Amino acid sequence: MNLQNLPVVSKTGARNDHEIMVYALSTCGFCKRAIAFLESNNFSYKYLYVDLIPLEVKNTIKQELKERFKENVAFPFAVIDERTHLVGFIEADWKLTLGL
Amino acid sequence: MSSQKTFEQTKIFTEMVARKQGWALNPDASFYKSLVDGLAANYNRYGYFLCPCRDTEGSRDADKPAICPCVWSRADIPEYGHCFCALYLSKEFAESGKEPRAIPDRRYEDK
Repeated sequence: MNLQNLPVVSKTGARNDHEIMVYALSTCGFCKRAIAFLESNNFSYKYLYVDLIPLEVKNTIKQELKERFKENVAFPFAVIDERTHLVGFIEADWKLTLGL
Repeated sequence: MSSQKTFEQTKIFTEMVARKQGWALNPDASFYKSLVDGLAANYNRYGYFLCPCRDTEGSRDADKPAICPCVWSRADIPEYGHCFCALYLSKEFAESGKEPRAIPDRRYEDK
C-alpha cells in the first residue's frame, strides 16, 4: 500500500519485534485506547488517522485492506508484520497477537 | 459553518439521548470525554453527530444510519450491553461494572 505523502505518524519504542501499522480515527475512543496500549507497552509502531485525509484516498485504503484481509474495515484496524490484522481494540487479542 | 458545537453542548446532547432511551453513559470519565470530543469534532466537520468510531461515507444521506444515536445501537445495546463506540450502555451493563470492548460493526451486515 502506498502511504507516501500521507500524514503517517511513526513512533519509536524499545519493542521492535513486530511491524505495526494502525489505521485509526482521530475521534474514536477505542482507537485512542489501542494507540495508548502500544505506547504504554513501548512498541515501535505507525498510525494514520484516516478521517484526516481526503475521502477518496481513505476509500482506496479501505478497499485495499478489505481485499487483502477479506474483512470489512472498522477502526482501529492494525496490520501486523504485513500479514495478520486486528480489527477493533480488545486488549487480550492485541496482547496475544503481539506476543505479550 | 453556521453552527459549531462545544464540548458542553455535545455532552448535553448525549445526556439527553441517554435519558430519552433509558441508557447509561459510559462511566469511564476519560473515555467518555474522548467520545464527546470526537462527536463534537464530527459535528463541527460534517454538520451532524456522526458516530465518533465510524468514518464518513461522504454525505449526510449515506451517513444517516451512523448519526448518533446510530440505528444499530438499538440492537447492540441489548445484545452486547453497549453501542459500537461504547458511549451508551444499558443500565444493567453499567451496573455490572464490566468494561466495554470492541464489538462487530453492523454497518456492513446488509452490504
